[in-house]
Amino acid sequence: MARLPNAFSDLDRFVDEWVLADSSSRAAKRQESDYADIKEFYDAMLALAPDALRYLSTKQLGELDEAEERLLKLLLSLAELGPAVEWYQQAQVIDGFPAARFPIIRQLSDNVPQE
Amino acid sequence: MSAQLSSADLTLRYPELGTGPVPTDIYWQPEFYERELDAIFRRAWLCLGRVEEIPEPGDYLVKEIQTFDMSILVVKGKDAEIRAFHNVCQHRGNHVELKPNGNCQVFRCPFHGWAYGLDGKLAGVPDAEAFYDLRREEKGLLPIHLDIWEGFIFINLSEQPDATLEEFLGEHGRDLVGYPFHLGTSTFEYQGVVKCNWKCMVDSFCETYHVPVLHKNSVTDTLAGPNNPFGRLIDVRLKGPHRTSSVVGNMSYQPNPVQGLAFQYAPGPSITSGNIDESVTLPKGLNETRADNWSLDSTVFFPNLIMVIGSGMYFTHQMWPLGPNEVVWQMRGYLRAASNAAQRFGQENSLVELRDAVLEDGNTLERIQRSLNQGLIKEFIFHDHELALRHHYHTVIEWVERYESVR
Ligand code: FES
Ligand SMILES: [Fe+2]
Repeated sequence: MARLPNAFSDLDRFVDEWVLADSSSRAAKRQESDYADIKEFYDAMLALAPDALRYLSTKQLGELDEAEERLLKLLLSLAELGPAVEWYQQAQVIDGFPAARFPIIRQLSDNVPQE
Repeated sequence: MSAQLSSADLTLRYPELGTGPVPTDIYWQPEFYERELDAIFRRAWLCLGRVEEIPEPGDYLVKEIQTFDMSILVVKGKDAEIRAFHNVCQHRGNHVELKPNGNCQVFRCPFHGWAYGLDGKLAGVPDAEAFYDLRREEKGLLPIHLDIWEGFIFINLSEQPDATLEEFLGEHGRDLVGYPFHLGTSTFEYQGVVKCNWKCMVDSFCETYHVPVLHKNSVTDTLAGPNNPFGRLIDVRLKGPHRTSSVVGNMSYQPNPVQGLAFQYAPGPSITSGNIDESVTLPKGLNETRADNWSLDSTVFFPNLIMVIGSGMYFTHQMWPLGPNEVVWQMRGYLRAASNAAQRFGQENSLVELRDAVLEDGNTLERIQRSLNQGLIKEFIFHDHELALRHHYHTVIEWVERYESVR
């Protein structure tokens, strides 16, 4: 079984590291990652993100199969990393209040349908 | 080019506030902090959440008010009324409900099992015959004044509030009625403790003079932009103890790559997008001057709630002081529901950008507080567009003096 929908198999090499449980673990992963790894993931994802989003825009949360859910979670990691690349060119916020002192305590689910 | 900046002299509209410096003792003194607790936090209406958090009869929330080390039970009754009680068993004072939220028919104290109905009445006492003088009608949960404005649940900790919630919110509340707060059903929350005075933290979200400098890497281009190099506001409106600042949006903003995709797939325009949802009719009190380069209003519900409202989403900051130089900071986002899986990506971008942008604010607050604590900054001088901060100072002084004069 392919781990991602066929059109996105190029991203398979990122699945182990960047398919994460929730917003909290994505934020933690960004904090502990090297910027070079962030940038590599960002560039590869950005190339396929328009197609991936178009694909997922025809699906509903709660109705994704496992491969589709992994694709969504890769995109959510891309969202977490967006400002690292586009605002700061480093993993952390520049002169940022420590992220660990301002944790997320209520999260949006990655897969439950929203009303 | 549409910079409708009301460039100068917002402050002169309110001559009673003056234009001079203000002393900084109220931002660090322990004695003044104690006076604020009595005069403000025990008197004013305080927001605890939204009605959507407890939609069904029997739904409840336990809210910890850390300022007073107080546990409060908010519950929806069988009659659909929402009530608040001290979460304190009237047998010997244990907390009645320990879970942060849930649904039940009766609250049973986990110490000796006294039971209370959703209306707070004492409903059951194990082995009741062995008490000598048990007057059940006097042993209900202690009620707290509660009222609702536009779906927001407010409580008042005084025995007898000086004003109803409606009176307290006054013109400020009336002018915000009608915004589609109820559409913000996809919610998230961050919480932390910052070593600063609660008023400094409120103030940091009420001026944009700092945006082109402190936020130069993040939101400068959207909230200030080339037409507004010094981060001037569109407008500031003061209404009773409450205040609203209208913030510029750069309508010609060109988003970054990931950000642009996120804006495209957001369920409502992101607050940092420079886009607005034309289908939302703003109430009078939002973008009150009807500027065509508006992005959001930062509106303070005195004393400790700030709503940052755009046309497609809103979020709140709430500050619960722990002492003169320490505060619990809660940030809650209210996004519209994702109508497909791709919009979950747009939502994630909204929360991540918001979090990163406000993380840029935190360290300045702790540095300011150190300077205040050391007596190295004896007065604040306020820019015309820091009018909201000047108003905050005067409001706090007024509340403390008024309360102490009638006591
Ligand atoms: S303290 Fe609650 S039953 Fe005794
Ligand atoms: Fe800021």
